[in-house]
Amino acid sequence: MSATAKTLDKLIKKEYAPGFVTDLEADTLPPGLNEDVIRAISAKKNEPEFMLEWRLEAFRHWLSMEEPKWAFVHYGPIDYQAISYYSAPKTREPPKSLDEVDPKLLETYNKLGIPLYEQERLAGVAIDAVFDSVSVATTFKEKLAAAGVIFCSMSEAIQNHPDLVKQYLGSVVPPGDNFFAALNSAVFSDGSFVYIPKGVRCPMELSTYFRINAAKTGQFERTLIIAEESSYVSYLEGCTAPMRDENQLHAAVVELVALDNAEIKYSTVQNWYPGDEEGRGGIYNFVTKRGDCRGRKSKISWTQVETGSAITWKYPSCILRGDESVGEFYSVAVTNHCQQADTGTKMIHLGKNTKSTIISKGISAGRAQNSYRGLVKILKSAENARNYTQCDSLLIGDRCGAHTFPYIEVKQPTAQVEHEATTSKISEDQLFFCMQRGLSAEDAVSMIVNGFCKQVFKELPMEFAVEAQALLGISLEGSVG
Amino acid sequence: MSPAQHYVEHYRTLALPGRHLPWLRRLREEAQSRFSEAGFPSPREEEWKYTNVSALEKKLFVPSVGTPTAVADTSALARLRLEDAWSLVFVDGIYSAEHSVTDGLPEGVIATSLANALERYPDRIEGLFNQAVPQDAHGFIAFTIAYFRDGAFVHLPPGKILDKPLQVIHFSTRPDGLSVARNLVALEQNAEATVVETYAGTGDLSYLTASVTEISVGENAGLEHYKLQSETVKGYHFGGIYAREARSARFRQHHLAFGGLLARTEIHAHLGLGAECELDGLFLATGRRHLDTQTLIHHRAPCGTSRETYRGIAADRARGVFSGRIVVHPDAQKTDAEMSNRNLLLSEDAEIDSKPQLEIHADDVKCAHGVTVGQLDPEAVFYLESRGVDEPTARNMLTFAFANEMVEKIRPSSLNRLVQDELLSSLPQSDIRKDWL
Repeated sequence: MSATAKTLDKLIKKEYAPGFVTDLEADTLPPGLNEDVIRAISAKKNEPEFMLEWRLEAFRHWLSMEEPKWAFVHYGPIDYQAISYYSAPKTREPPKSLDEVDPKLLETYNKLGIPLYEQERLAGVAIDAVFDSVSVATTFKEKLAAAGVIFCSMSEAIQNHPDLVKQYLGSVVPPGDNFFAALNSAVFSDGSFVYIPKGVRCPMELSTYFRINAAKTGQFERTLIIAEESSYVSYLEGCTAPMRDENQLHAAVVELVALDNAEIKYSTVQNWYPGDEEGRGGIYNFVTKRGDCRGRKSKISWTQVETGSAITWKYPSCILRGDESVGEFYSVAVTNHCQQADTGTKMIHLGKNTKSTIISKGISAGRAQNSYRGLVKILKSAENARNYTQCDSLLIGDRCGAHTFPYIEVKQPTAQVEHEATTSKISEDQLFFCMQRGLSAEDAVSMIVNGFCKQVFKELPMEFAVEAQALLGISLEGSVG
Repeated sequence: MSPAQHYVEHYRTLALPGRHLPWLRRLREEAQSRFSEAGFPSPREEEWKYTNVSALEKKLFVPSVGTPTAVADTSALARLRLEDAWSLVFVDGIYSAEHSVTDGLPEGVIATSLANALERYPDRIEGLFNQAVPQDAHGFIAFTIAYFRDGAFVHLPPGKILDKPLQVIHFSTRPDGLSVARNLVALEQNAEATVVETYAGTGDLSYLTASVTEISVGENAGLEHYKLQSETVKGYHFGGIYAREARSARFRQHHLAFGGLLARTEIHAHLGLGAECELDGLFLATGRRHLDTQTLIHHRAPCGTSRETYRGIAADRARGVFSGRIVVHPDAQKTDAEMSNRNLLLSEDAEIDSKPQLEIHADDVKCAHGVTVGQLDPEAVFYLESRGVDEPTARNMLTFAFANEMVEKIRPSSLNRLVQDELLSSLPQSDIRKDWL
C-alpha cells in the first residue's frame, strides 16, 4: 500500500465526530401520522386556527401524492407511520436566558463546536439553536430588535407575527409543491423566522444550528426569510445528527422572499450523520429550498457544503421574477462510503435581464454516488436573461460514481445560456508536482481538493469557511485512488 | 378504438415477413403484447419529457397492402439520390427492386431487403436481430418489432471494403400511410463501409415512418453512417440507430434533420475495448416542427473514445430538443468522452431544450460536456449590415455559417451537396446563394 493510499485509508476510516447522543428527557409523540397527530402538534404549539387548517389541508394533499422516484438514489421504502413527528426536550419553564438552558444541552453544542457563550462573546453571530423540534435559546435578540429585525423560531412567529406568517408562509413553496414539502407543511415542528424591514442591513450574520437527537424522530423544520425592500441579510445554517443504526428522515422546507433591491445570502453546512462504512443508518435528507426574487434587482444566493447524510435530495432554487434580479448557487457536495447525493438547483428566469450563476463541485469517494441535477428555464418574458453553469466532478476510487443531469429549457432568443461540465480524478502529475516540492501526500491532496472547491468556499462567510474546510478534511482529504 | 387495437386489427390480415421463423414469431408476439399494453411513450417517461407524441394517438395510420406502389413523382426521389452510390429503395416501407441499384457490389457483400434476407439467411439474422436495441425498449421499438414490413439488410464479410456509399432510401407516397422498417447493418472484422439513410416523402403528405436500424461493427471495422431526415412538413418520424462496436471498431454517425412535423431520432452506441465513436448532428427546425435528437453512449470497456458534436437551430414556432447521455461503466477506465451541443434560437416563439448527461462509474476517465443556447451575435449582424448586406440576408448568412460547419463534416461529396441544398432551401427567407457559395 503506498503512502497516499494509507493516508486515504486513514482519513476515510475517520469516525463521525459529532456522533453522540444527549440523554435528555423528551416530550415525544408516539410514532404514527394521521390527522390527530397533526392536531396534537398544532395544539402543543398552541397555534391559531388558520395554521391547523393549513396543516390539515397539506396533509390531505400529501395523502394523494406519491413519493418521487426520479432521483438517482436508491433506498428502501420509508414507513411514514413508524416516525414520531414531534419531540421536544422537557423543561419546566421556557428559558428566558442562556443561564436557564439545560446545561447538558449547552454541552452538546459545545461538543459540536458552537458554544453559545463563546458565540455571544465573539460577537457577530446570533444563533437560534434548534434542538430536535423546539427552539431552546435565541441570542442577540435585543440587538436585532433595535434594528427592527425579527429573528425568532417559527412557533414564536406564529404566535407573535401571525399576519406576516399568513402572508408569506407557503407563498414560495406551496403546501402541495412536492411529496416531502407537503409532508413538512403538515407536520413541521419548528424552524427559524427572519424578517428584515425596509432599508435595513442586518447588523450581524444570523445562524441556526439544527440537530436531530431523539431516536426515531423525523425533523421537519420550516424556515422563512423575508427581506423587505433594500434590505440585506446573511443567514447561516449548520446541521449535525448523532450516530444511529436506523435511518432517520429529515424533510425541511426553506422559503426565501426578496423584494425590490433586497439581497439574501443563505449558506448551509450540512453534516448530518452519513451512515457507517457499510451504509447502515444515516439521515435521509429530503429538503425543499426555494427563493423567490420578487422585486426588481433583488438577489438570492445559495451556498451549500454538503458532506453528510446517507441520502441527499436537495435543490435550492431561485425564481427570478423581478426584472434584473440575480440568482446564485454555489455548491460543494461530498459523498463517501455508501452515501448518495442527488443535488443541484433550479433557476427559473421570468424577469427581464435576470442573471443566474451555478457553480457545482461534486466529490465522490468509496462506493458513493454523487449526482448534479439542475434546471435552467428561460421563459419567454425573460429578455436578455443570462445563465452560466459549471459542474465539475472529482472521483476518488474506482467504485464510486459521479453524474451530471442538467436540464436546459430556453424560450427566449435573446437569452444566453452556457453549461459546461467535466469529470476527472486528481491527476498524478498534480500530485507529483506538489509532493516533489516537499508536501506530504495528505497535504498535497488537501491542497488540490481545496483548490477544486475554492470557487465555492470563497462565497462562504468567514465563520463557515473554516468549518467547511475542516469538514472537507474529515470527509475527503487524500483524494488519491 | 385505442391506437394499439387499431394496429393489431390492421396487421392481423397482413402477411408480415419471417412468419416461418419461430424465434421471430415469438419476438413479434411479445412486442405486440407490450405495445398493446403500453402504447406509444408518454411525456411522463423521463426520456420523453420534451416530446409529446399524443398526436399520434389521434391519427390512425394505415400500412400499405400488397406490392410496392409505383412512385408517381419520380423527380422527388431522383433529387435525393446520390450519384455514384449503390442504393436500396423502400417505398411506403416495402422494398422496390425497380428503384434500387445493387450492381457491382464486391463479391460476398450482401445488400438486400430484410424480407428477402429472412428467407435466404435466417440464421445470420437471428444472431443480429434485436441484439443492439435497449433492453427496456419503449413503445416505438416494440411497435417496430411487432409490425416491421421490411428494411435494409447489409452484410460485409471480413476485410471487405465498399469504395462507394450505399444509400438506403425510405420514401413515403401515401396519405396517412404507415411505414415500419427494421434495418440491419453488420460489418465483420476489418470491413469498411459508408451507409447513408435517407427519409423523405412526396408533397406535404401526412404519414408515419418508424424505422429502427441496428448496427454491428466488428473488430477493427469502420462504419461511416449518415442519416438525412427530410420528411414532409406534415410527416411523423421515429428513427432509432442502435450500434454495437467490437474491439477497436470505429463508428461515425452524422445525423441531419430538416423535415417532419414531429420527428425523433435516437442514436445509441455501445463501445468495446479501445473503440472509437464520433457522433455529429445538425437540426434546423422551422415552421411548427418539433425535432428531437437523443444520444446515448455506453462505454463498456476500457480505452474507448467518444466525441459528440451537435448543433441545433430553432426558428418560427419550432422546438428543438437534444438529450445526450454518456455512461461510463465501472470497468471502462481510460475512457475519453466529450460532448458539445450548441444551439441557435432565432425566434421568440421557438424553444430549445437540452439535456446533456454524464453518468460515470469509473475514476480514471476524462469526460466533459458543454451546452450553449443563444441568438446570432448582434455585432456580427451589424458588421454585415455596415457592408451593405440587408438584415434578413445577414442573419441568413450567419445562420448558414453556423450550420455549414456541420455540413462540412460530411465526407461523400454528393451527399455534402445534397445536404447543403436542403439547408439553404430550409433557411427562413431570401436567397443567399450568391457567387460566394
